[in-house]
Amino acid sequence: MKLASPPGTCAVRLRRCRRSFRTPDGGVYVALDGVDLEVRAGEFVALVGPTGCGKSTLLNLVAGLLQPDAGSVEVFGEPLVGINRRASYLFQQDVLLPWKTAEENVMLGLVFRRVPREQARRQARAWLERVGLRGFENRYPHQLSGGMRKRVALAQNLIVNPEILLMDEPFAALDVQTRQLMENDLLRIWQEERKTVLFVTHDLEEAIALSDRVVVLSAGPAARPVGEFPVELPRPRDVTEVRLDPAFGDLFRRVWELLRGEVLRAFRLGP
Amino acid sequence: MRSGWAHNARWGLRAVQAAVFVLLVVAWELSSRWGWLDPFFFSRPSSVAERVVRWFATGEVYRHIYVTSLETVLAFLVGSLLGVVVGFAFALSPGLSRVFDPYVKVANAMPRIVLAPIFTLWFGLGVLSKVAFGVTLVFFVVFFNTYQGVREVDRNVLNNARMLGATEGDLVRHVLLPSALVWILSSLHTSVGLALVGAVVGEYLGSARGLGYLIQQAEALFDTTGVFAGLVVLAGFVLAVDLLVTSVERRLLRWKPPAHVEEVV
Repeated sequence: MKLASPPGTCAVRLRRCRRSFRTPDGGVYVALDGVDLEVRAGEFVALVGPTGCGKSTLLNLVAGLLQPDAGSVEVFGEPLVGINRRASYLFQQDVLLPWKTAEENVMLGLVFRRVPREQARRQARAWLERVGLRGFENRYPHQLSGGMRKRVALAQNLIVNPEILLMDEPFAALDVQTRQLMENDLLRIWQEERKTVLFVTHDLEEAIALSDRVVVLSAGPAARPVGEFPVELPRPRDVTEVRLDPAFGDLFRRVWELLRGEVLRAFRLGP
Repeated sequence: MRSGWAHNARWGLRAVQAAVFVLLVVAWELSSRWGWLDPFFFSRPSSVAERVVRWFATGEVYRHIYVTSLETVLAFLVGSLLGVVVGFAFALSPGLSRVFDPYVKVANAMPRIVLAPIFTLWFGLGVLSKVAFGVTLVFFVVFFNTYQGVREVDRNVLNNARMLGATEGDLVRHVLLPSALVWILSSLHTSVGLALVGAVVGEYLGSARGLGYLIQQAEALFDTTGVFAGLVVLAGFVLAVDLLVTSVERRLLRWKPPAHVEEVV
């Protein structure tokens, strides 16, 4: 078992990162340019920005699924090569394997680490219980609701005990009630585990309710962080109640002022 | 209530299906008895039934069924194995698939029956030539489905597995192979059917045993009754194989949403 990294160390550092893509008509689209971002160990950072601004691209750079054209990505002070082994990634899409049960899906990461089956199974059961899915171990994904599938995916990510948790609009497809339940569960688990979290969302309320710091990304092309807002709301939080805090509304207005400009710009530029 | 209604509807359907069968058989029997159909060319159901019963009573038909089953199973297994391996290789190596694309297209478009004489020369009149013939039919179905299955795997699903620590081998075993298997299973009826076609047509063209041989022998002797009796046995055999495939499919696709299973049934 790895010791928790000392607080204050830098878990993720992006320096002058640039990433472009080839467009179908043969051109080049620069998604991100000049991205500087630091995430401290144990910090919960939310990344907001207009649609299509390259939030997912940024997350993929940190995950090691994409490499920057220029600039560098460092994880705990070391340059990132290949897949980021210290991070796990909760995708926006449904990525559970439909032919495996909830339990088999959760234990996947342990199977890949060659943990003995029985031990992996025990841990998977424990994690399913922690995300509130006791009794659903043998269900297949299609027998679970959208919210339950997200819980399975969350357990699948946490069972490998990652130091960094990357999340790409994980709750975007859920209805409001389910979403708030999931957000509270995430906060509860984060409170216990103190992972470093980089959470991408286009929902500013969600960003503020969950995070320690909100980073606003500009509209693409060549998106980059254009503002940072520390969230000084008390923890532990309840995502429904924290919204009633006057400081919440105050912060929301300040961030929205900046974000609105970017959203309008993205809207005018078109997709 | 609803299930009771569905139950009745199903039995009603079965009754109509049986009535169609009885009507056709009776019409055939009467037509041949009353001289509207020449029994020499059309035989009659009662003679055909008598022949089928005799075959089973004397036991002479069993070795033919055995040989045809053996050829079908071997053609299916070998064809599927080759299809999966080559399908994987092509899907994972774009260079390979680009080079061999025209060859695959030509080979697949070729009427397979022209290969029968060559296979007879190479593999003789026994089981092997029929298996080879069936393999050329089964291979392409499984190959295309494997190729498709591997190519269609969602990128996010692959990335998720990679982030969870999967090696390339893990990806094949836990993600790519099961995904291809879904496609292969969806074409199971087709590929088993083709294995059987390969066996029977091969036997028909030249052999000393099997259901195809039985039919071919009867035809050579202008024994119409024998031809029809052979067809009846073959039909029963095909039905049995199809039921078997359906039950295998249901077991393997347990994890699928029920809508899909019903579609398959």
